[in-house]
Amino acid sequence: MEYCIRISDIHVQLSGHYILRGVNLEVQSGEFVSIVGENGAGKTTLLKVVCGILKPSKGQVYIFGNDLSQFKNLTLLRKEIGVVPQRFISHRFPIRVEEAVLMGRYGKIGLMRRPRKEDWDKALEIMEAVGIRQFCKKLVHELSGGEQQKVALARALAQEPLILLLDEPTTYLDSSAQSEIMETIHTLHHQRELTTLLVSHDSHLVEQYSDKIYLLKEGRSCLVK
Amino acid sequence: MSWAQILNFPFMQHALVAILFAGIAFPMIGVFILSLNLIPLRFAMMHVALLGGAIGLFLKVDPMLSGLLFCILSSMALGPVSEKMRLGVGILSGYFMTLTLALAFILIYKADIHVLEAFNILWGNILSLTILDLIIVGLISLMILIMVFLFFKEIQAILYDREIALAVGLPEKLFYYLIIFMLGLTIAVSMRLIGALLIDAFVLLPAMAATLISRSLKQTFFFSSLFGLLSGMGGLYFSFVFDIPTSSTIILVASLIIAGCFLFRRRLSGYEKVR
Repeated sequence: MEYCIRISDIHVQLSGHYILRGVNLEVQSGEFVSIVGENGAGKTTLLKVVCGILKPSKGQVYIFGNDLSQFKNLTLLRKEIGVVPQRFISHRFPIRVEEAVLMGRYGKIGLMRRPRKEDWDKALEIMEAVGIRQFCKKLVHELSGGEQQKVALARALAQEPLILLLDEPTTYLDSSAQSEIMETIHTLHHQRELTTLLVSHDSHLVEQYSDKIYLLKEGRSCLVK
Repeated sequence: MSWAQILNFPFMQHALVAILFAGIAFPMIGVFILSLNLIPLRFAMMHVALLGGAIGLFLKVDPMLSGLLFCILSSMALGPVSEKMRLGVGILSGYFMTLTLALAFILIYKADIHVLEAFNILWGNILSLTILDLIIVGLISLMILIMVFLFFKEIQAILYDREIALAVGLPEKLFYYLIIFMLGLTIAVSMRLIGALLIDAFVLLPAMAATLISRSLKQTFFFSSLFGLLSGMGGLYFSFVFDIPTSSTIILVASLIIAGCFLFRRRLSGYEKVR
């Protein structure tokens, strides 16, 4: 069977000790898969390995059947993977919501080229879908945590990715904002036929949305749903 | 005294041309420094230049030239080395800063180099610029403006968040190294031309003022250039009229602009609260 993401016995060593020690994971095309685990279990490290930011010291990562270590140009691959990072942008960088969303198109626009009308249209369409169109002229740092998280989601989707990686998208949000963002992610996952890999420390929250759930504990993974 | 009278002096003409170039372009580098938190790099380059100058004096080569060469090489190496060692550029700059200073002092002591001669590399003078100096300032200013114009969106993504720039598929490392290289080059050259003290006036202070009132990166670049130009021209004029040191006067004008921007921002946020 062809997997969209397949991780085979990966080990990751950082600053002298192993963060991941034998993680196996399989995600089929169109699946919504969650990885749960306590803080420090290595969830973020695992996502960084999938998008090629970190290299595993042992094991293989296959994306669309291709071994990640054999990719000569990871930039090309990254254009197909949308990433929603865990943290907010804390500093007061002056950027409007529409510009932050448009940033998702930058890799596809190409170097030295200005965004075209279709790029702006795409950004507007995504902002509408995510429900942040009304904030498009506001500065990102003026928004609430939940709204900022939606901006990060919209930016990742503006990339028109095949795979969506989400790193704790509900952290720092109150419970109603958590449910709202999870509903939005789930709806867009189906509407856009995405393959979604989400990490969270809250297994109850992700259970109803996930096709499969892996538990990450002490650097090892096991399928729990 | 009018500008026409001031510009009768060739050294003032040269200073004005340098301010026109550096005032517009160098504050853009200040925006990079503030956004990427690279302030230690600016200090590191000063010390690298000092070591380069000391080596130049020891080898009987022009110390300005060897200082510049060392800064260029260091700024080229700093990005990749920090990546390889998994240390931030800020931390590595601190290491470079202290190491090069120690090496410079050992060399100065052992090779019996006149201390003031070595430190001369840090004191430029905007009123003693030659045509060659102006060409160098002009070329570097042009390089900065071209870089910002051509790669605005890439620069915007990197200044916003380096990881996001990488995630959206931009060659983030390449641009980060380019920014560090341009930063090193600008600091090295401006040290020679306008002195270590004036670097802050041209590079950092206008950028600080611009970040206080801007609502987009384009505005930040625009206002930083405008404030760089205003503080340079204003400082030059007032220093001549009141017969006070040019560098200090430029910094004074730049500081007043920052205070003005701070008050403007407070008033603006007060207005928004009332509304």
